[in-house]
Parts: sequence; structure tokens; C-alpha cells
Amino acid sequence: MDIFNGLLLGFSTATTLSNFAYCFAGVLLGTAVGVLPGLGPIATISMLLPFTFGLPVDTALIMLAGIFYGSQYGGSTTAILMNLPGEASSVVTTLDGHQMAKQGKAGRALAAAAIGSFFAGTVGTLFIVIAAPLLASLALTFGPAEYFSLIMLGLITSMVLTSGSLLTAFGMALFGIILGMIGTDINSGAARFTFGSPYLLDGLDFVVVATGIFGLGDVLMNLENERLRVVGVAPVSSLFPTAEDWRRMSAPILRGTGIGVLLGVLPGAGVLLASFSAYALEKKISKHPEEFGKGAIEGVAAPEAANNAAAQTCFIPMLTLGLPGTATMALMIGALVVQGVQPGPEILSQQPALFWGLVVSMWIGNLMLLFLNLPLVGMWAKLISVPYHFLFPTICVFMAIGVYSINNSVFDVYMMALFGVLGYFFKRMGAEPAPLILAMILGPMAEEYLRRTLLISHGDASVFFTSPLSLGTLVVAALLLLSIVSPRFRKVREEGLQEVD
Amino acid sequence: MKLSQDVLLGLFFVVFGVVSVSVAMSYPFGTSGRMGPGYFPVIISSLLVLTGLLVLFRSQFAQPEILPAIRWKPLLLIPGAVVIFGLAVETLGLPLAVLLLTILTAATSIKFHIEWKTAAGSLAFAALCSVVFIELLGLPIPIVGSWLRVPGF
Repeated sequence: MDIFNGLLLGFSTATTLSNFAYCFAGVLLGTAVGVLPGLGPIATISMLLPFTFGLPVDTALIMLAGIFYGSQYGGSTTAILMNLPGEASSVVTTLDGHQMAKQGKAGRALAAAAIGSFFAGTVGTLFIVIAAPLLASLALTFGPAEYFSLIMLGLITSMVLTSGSLLTAFGMALFGIILGMIGTDINSGAARFTFGSPYLLDGLDFVVVATGIFGLGDVLMNLENERLRVVGVAPVSSLFPTAEDWRRMSAPILRGTGIGVLLGVLPGAGVLLASFSAYALEKKISKHPEEFGKGAIEGVAAPEAANNAAAQTCFIPMLTLGLPGTATMALMIGALVVQGVQPGPEILSQQPALFWGLVVSMWIGNLMLLFLNLPLVGMWAKLISVPYHFLFPTICVFMAIGVYSINNSVFDVYMMALFGVLGYFFKRMGAEPAPLILAMILGPMAEEYLRRTLLISHGDASVFFTSPLSLGTLVVAALLLLSIVSPRFRKVREEGLQEVD
Repeated sequence: MKLSQDVLLGLFFVVFGVVSVSVAMSYPFGTSGRMGPGYFPVIISSLLVLTGLLVLFRSQFAQPEILPAIRWKPLLLIPGAVVIFGLAVETLGLPLAVLLLTILTAATSIKFHIEWKTAAGSLAFAALCSVVFIELLGLPIPIVGSWLRVPGF
């Protein structure tokens, strides 16, 4: 199917009344939950997951994507108005966005973020349309060795881009791989790490672990310094960027989009890397770098554009290779599996309506965000200022119901409580849980591809270095690891990531 | 050895890794050409033990940071409330389970106090959840739990 027919199919899928309505509902709910302080996209998606159960697969996927964008955008709103980043990639937005808000330019900062995001979203979607079918046909030629190397690259990128020490991140990834191995081994049928419990035979549900660590763990962490939580929401002024704003932000949006589109495809933490690089680039080439950090509109527009472009293109490896690039994408795979869809190169040929419908609805979702969020920003600001002591019991209830309803299993609810405590422990110990989450999905895949590779080569590991693609991927991974040893990169990484915690 | 972030994290990795290695050793290891179910777990768990030891080793050279005091009340009560929700959702039904979870979690806040407004609010919230999740979304969760059902009805 060529691109034109694909898009036609996509438009006819995405614009059916129910799909359109659920896309709208997803964007609206995603934003409403995403603006709540302390709730990142992962907690938002897992809380809203039950709303997609019982829907047809394509509708569910479209709504999920809507929730994902909505939560991303909601996170930027909170970052600008309240100086509270919902996730790592909106940290950069707080730097200049909140400064602008303090100077009474909150509306213009929000508009810059929205316009930048919309433009980047459109370009990102076009990029998916062109690149995904190419990558999918390329992926069909990948052998297990190539897949294994790509997974290694993804794991290493996520470790390098995590705040804190590399050794800690490595430990977290290994811990995640072990969690992922719990359950029946697909190859031998052996029950591993189940301790005789029938509930663990199917493995730990990924969504349950993510909800526990990110959702409940964050609640516990926030209650720790409940007294210290400052609730100050900047007032929203005029939403219209001035002519000066337009002039200053158009080139940064273009550059940010370019960076985001390319980096988003990278396995690992592409979205995070994109927003940091876009900010650093603007600061470097700006004629007045001293304004950065004090409310430069370029410092809002560029990283927001990069962030959103990468958020689009990180669907490419997820949909075409079945490899999640970020913890959020890993959760999306978990949600797809709940729906009975296994992402991979075949998805394009076997379920074209699903793929193209999703792509088109991404663009429609972005359009909705632009028209929904700017007029509704007053309502979001009100939602942000709901005091936390009303908020967190509600969050706990939604998470508990969400986790229960995945498998109608009480055991999952207990597991969420356990992982909530673990998530709190990791945060208190300065260990970022993102590599754990990614490794939990990627670990079992790595095992399977390693097994297949070595089976074909009769135990000879040199195949990883004789296939050019696998070799290239491993070289990139090795360079990334080496770069962290270099003091110069180390300094940049520490500066860039220090505020993430 | 002074307790610090790294000491606790390193111990966690080592203990979890050792348990995991010893469990994984009981699975057939296989060979590189034919990996058994124990092959990958043993390697990964051993690496985790090694990483934990390195983290412990590192902690001896770092400036020990003071661990901030832990607020035990939310840390125990919130996961406890979630477990109680799990116990109650099938036996008492969703509205009561939500009510319990709301009140128990809210009680951990330093701002918690009992007044009729918040009590009415949590009742309304429990009712709202039941309508949204069971009636509108059609999730198969009982409204009235198995303990409360009158036999014969």
C-alpha cells in the first residue's frame, strides 16, 4: 500500500464519529490529568487505561495516543505555570517558561509551547508517514543479531541519559531485566522466579509495575515533603504572541523540530535528549545568550517543539520494530498487549487500518490540542491549583481501579502497593527508575534474540560483529558509554540532568 | 559502615542478586548454542551482585550524606490502604472499597481533619466512581460485594 492510499485509509478510519470522539476524549482527559502536578505521562496513561478497555482496538489505540499527547502537553502547562515538571523532558521548559510566567508573560509562553508543539507534531507525523513503512520493510530483513544489538543500544542510551550515576542506572536496568523474566519461559516452558505462585506464571504485569513505581511511588515521595509543597500558580495573561514573539520563535521552532524528529527515532531516551539538545543549541547560537534562563521565548519554543516532534517519532521504533524507545512507549506497548496487539514490522501489512488510522489521528489530536488547550487554559490553571491533600486520595483510587481492571485481579493491586514502596525506596536512594521500566520490557526480548542468534551461530558470539548493522549499532552504544567517561561530556550531562530529580 | 544512599542501594542489589542467582541456578543452564532457561537469569543476576558490590565499594569513598528522616505514616498507611482496597473490592464491592481507600489515604495528610463536607465529598466520589467505571465503562467490578449479598437474591 502506498503512502497516499494509506493516508486515505487513515483519514477514513480516524474520522469516523466514534474514533473522532474518543480521540477528543483522550486528549481532553490526558490533558486534565497531565496538568495535575506530580503526575507524569506514565502515571496519567496507567490511570486512564481502563477508559480504553472494551473499545475496539483501533479506537482504543487512537484514544491512548490522544491521552499520551494530552498528558505531555498538560505537563508543559504545569511546568510553565507552576515550575513543576511532570517528567524529565519538561524540565527545560521550566527554565525559561516559568521565568516568563513570573514576568506576567505566562499566556505567551503557553502559546509558544502550543504553537511549537503543533508545528512539530505535524512535521513529526509526516515523518512517520514516510519513514515508518521504509523502516518496517527494512526491519523484515533484520535477524535476531540486529535486534539484540538494537536492544542493547536502547538500554545503554537510557542508562547514559538518566540522572545520577551510571553504575546505579546499570543496576536498575539489571533489576528490571530480572523482573521481566518472572513467569513462564516461552522457550522451555519452565516457570522462573514464580516461587510456586500461580499468579506469577504469566509474569508481572508491566502496567502494574509502572503504575506502582511511578504513580504510587511519586505520591509517597510527595507526601514526604507535604509541608514544603508550594502552591503558586502564575496568572495567565494574554494568549496572543506579539509580532516580536513570532519573529523570535519561528526559527527556534524549526530547528527544535528538526532535532526532535531525528533524535526521537533513537532507541533510549530520545525525547529527553531532544529537548535538552534543542535548548542547548538555541542558547549556543543565540545573539543574546544571557537572556536564557531569564525568560527567553526561544528557550520555551525550541525544546517544546523538539519534545513533541520526538514524542511523535518515538512511535516509529515502537510500531515498526516493537522496540520501545522510552519508558512511556514501553507502557504503550503494555497497553497494546492488553488489547491483543503485538507491535512489530507486520503491523503495517496486517493491520493497515490500525496503523494509518493511528498516524492520522495523531495529527488530528495535535490539532485538537491547539484549539482545546489555549482557550481552556484558565480551566487547567484552576485544576493545577487544587490542593494536593484533595488530589492524592483521588489519584490513589483511580490507580487502584485501573490496575485492578487490567486482569480483574486483586493480586495486581497488591503488587502495585509493593512496587509503590519500592519506587519510593529507589527515589530516596537517588536511583532513577526509568531504566528499570524500559529493561523490564526489553530484557525478555534481549534474551529471546540472544538465544536465537546463538542457536543459529552454534554458540559463536562473533556474529554480533560480522553483521554490519549489528556492528554499527554496538559501536554507537560503545561510543555512548565511552563518552560518559570523558570529563567534558560528563559535565554537560550533569548540568543537563541535575534538575531532573 | 555508615548508612548512606549507596550502602542501602548496594545492599539491595546484592541481596536481590544473590537470591536471584540461587533461584536461577536450579534451572537448566544449557550451553551458549542452546541456552537453557537458567542461562540468561544466572548471567544477569551475577552482574547485579557485582554491580551491588561496586556500589558498596564506591560508598566507602564518597562523602556520606545524611539520610533525611522518613515520614512513616504515609509510607505504611498508603500501601496498606491499597491492600485494603484489594481485599474489599470483591468482597464489599466497589463503592465501599473506594470509600475506604479515599478516607484511609486522606488520613495520612497533615491537613486531614474530619468534617461533614469532606465526608460527604468522599461519599459522592465513591458513588461517582461506581457510576463511571461500572455503569459507563462497563468494567466487571461488583457494586455489592460477595459478603454483602443476601443469599437467594
